[in-house]
Amino acid sequence: MIKHLIAGIQRGLGLHRPGRSLLILPDDIFLVSFPKSGNTWTRFLLANLRFPKEPATWANINRLIPDPTGTAKRDFDRMPRPRIIKSHECFDPRYPRVIYIVRDPRDVVLSQYHYHRKIRKLDDESPLEQFVTRFLAGETCPHGSWGQNVATWLYTSEGSPRFLLLRYEDLVADTGRELAKVASFLQLSAGPEQIAQAVERSSADRMRQLEKKQTDKNELVKGSRKDLSFVRAAGSGGWRSELPAPMVARIEAAWGPMMQRLGYELSAQSSRQGRNYATQGVLSGRDL
Amino acid sequence: MIKRLIAGGKYFLGLHSPGRNVRVFPDDVFLVSYPKSGNTWTRFLIANLVYPEKNPDFSNINELLPDPEAMSKRDLERAPRPRILKSHQYFDPRYQKVIYIVRDPRDVVLSEYYFDIKRRAIAENYPKHEFVSRFVRGELNHPYGTWFENAATWFYARRGDPRFQLVKYEALQSHPMDEIRRIASFLGISADPQRLALAIEQSSADRMRELEKKQAHLWSSTRETRQDKPFVRSAKAGGWKAELSERSVAEIESAWGGLMREMGYELAASNSVHAEMEHVEMERR
Repeated sequence: MIKHLIAGIQRGLGLHRPGRSLLILPDDIFLVSFPKSGNTWTRFLLANLRFPKEPATWANINRLIPDPTGTAKRDFDRMPRPRIIKSHECFDPRYPRVIYIVRDPRDVVLSQYHYHRKIRKLDDESPLEQFVTRFLAGETCPHGSWGQNVATWLYTSEGSPRFLLLRYEDLVADTGRELAKVASFLQLSAGPEQIAQAVERSSADRMRQLEKKQTDKNELVKGSRKDLSFVRAAGSGGWRSELPAPMVARIEAAWGPMMQRLGYELSAQSSRQGRNYATQGVLSGRDL
Repeated sequence: MIKRLIAGGKYFLGLHSPGRNVRVFPDDVFLVSYPKSGNTWTRFLIANLVYPEKNPDFSNINELLPDPEAMSKRDLERAPRPRILKSHQYFDPRYQKVIYIVRDPRDVVLSEYYFDIKRRAIAENYPKHEFVSRFVRGELNHPYGTWFENAATWFYARRGDPRFQLVKYEALQSHPMDEIRRIASFLGISADPQRLALAIEQSSADRMRELEKKQAHLWSSTRETRQDKPFVRSAKAGGWKAELSERSVAEIESAWGGLMREMGYELAASNSVHAEMEHVEMERR
């Protein structure tokens, strides 16, 4: 009862976190991805590009590029426009402009497994195989499964001039080139020097150093295990050595055609299975 | 400020309608569709199948199959479980067990057109071709996305999932017995043919029209609308063939043809009209 009363008053004063009730403005830009797909890194890159006078840190990132589930409504109302807003939601037709980051699900599952150990949702003995099962069923976070989240955006928005698809792997391979794409999508006039500065200020090394000093300044890492870091490998393809083949096969069997469409090559055996799926009509052959 | 405090107070008492933010329970079933796709008819079918003893009609349908847009948070959370909830939302990952009704968008736009006249959103002589363009661009006055966005997000995210059942409005029209049997088995109801037939009979367009005449003032969706226009209209499939211009048909098909074909809706407009529409679309971009 008291809890409800406090919630009511907070709401009246705009101190609540708006979540899905966020009032969206026509010039808003949403930075969307399934969790553990490079969203935080891209947030740093964009913040450093957009606000060069205030280098992004773990302490200010929630203000520079806020999250509707982590920042008060009042702070949203006070932001300079156009706002760049972080989101993990599945397709939302209200978002006016969207940058969607996609990452190989075989790496995403490992990253999420690691993160859940860090925030004590899993203990170290918890078997990876069980986690993969829950990951495939969309039970490891409230944003759908990887396949659902990606499908809702890809099938509705690909090709739209208001939608920019980025692959995490391309960001790793040539950060400057990809960030220049983002700048042009946002119509930010940014020269090579500004791009290089943003890349430098968002490097894995700098983010690791900041994380050590500011670990209690951000809800993503607050109160989590100090012996595991949020910024981990910051690379791609870790699954080849870390994810056992049967688990790779299960992920590819579930989402093979969409992975191929995104340019994620399947390991030989499951690519045959993927084709069988498509010909059975379980998953469509369209656009693959 | 006062308005916001009142909203805050209502929120605290649970008197607001939660809409998309409805609290979801693990045993919920959702009856989802884009607006004007046969949701109310299917609601009656299911209500008559599951709760025949409650004599479902417009006065109690919101309680039997609750609507998060029309009911308060408090009433929704007090509804008997498991709930079968009505929804028009685009994909929501929290919905586990889902029946999705899809209807030919060429008929959906006509149904929406007449409903918008009924609820005074447009004038009676509003040009249909203009309405079709707004429909395709997603500029209708509701928060559920376009027909394509709504159907595509559910279809591509959930197809093949045993907890997702796709029902075509047109199949429900042409083979009601087969479809209602499929729905019953999805809901885990063992119903004999007699009970299925009775549910269909109790939800016929004629019976719903008669109920509407007596009860339009008792139901949230008809209460404040024009009473000279019916909510239950033709209750048929394929009206677009006589009522939509070739150009409007082509506009819908060139925007959403891929998904329409995948759903089994045959495209009608000739290739030359399509080519012309695609050109118009490119110019617009």
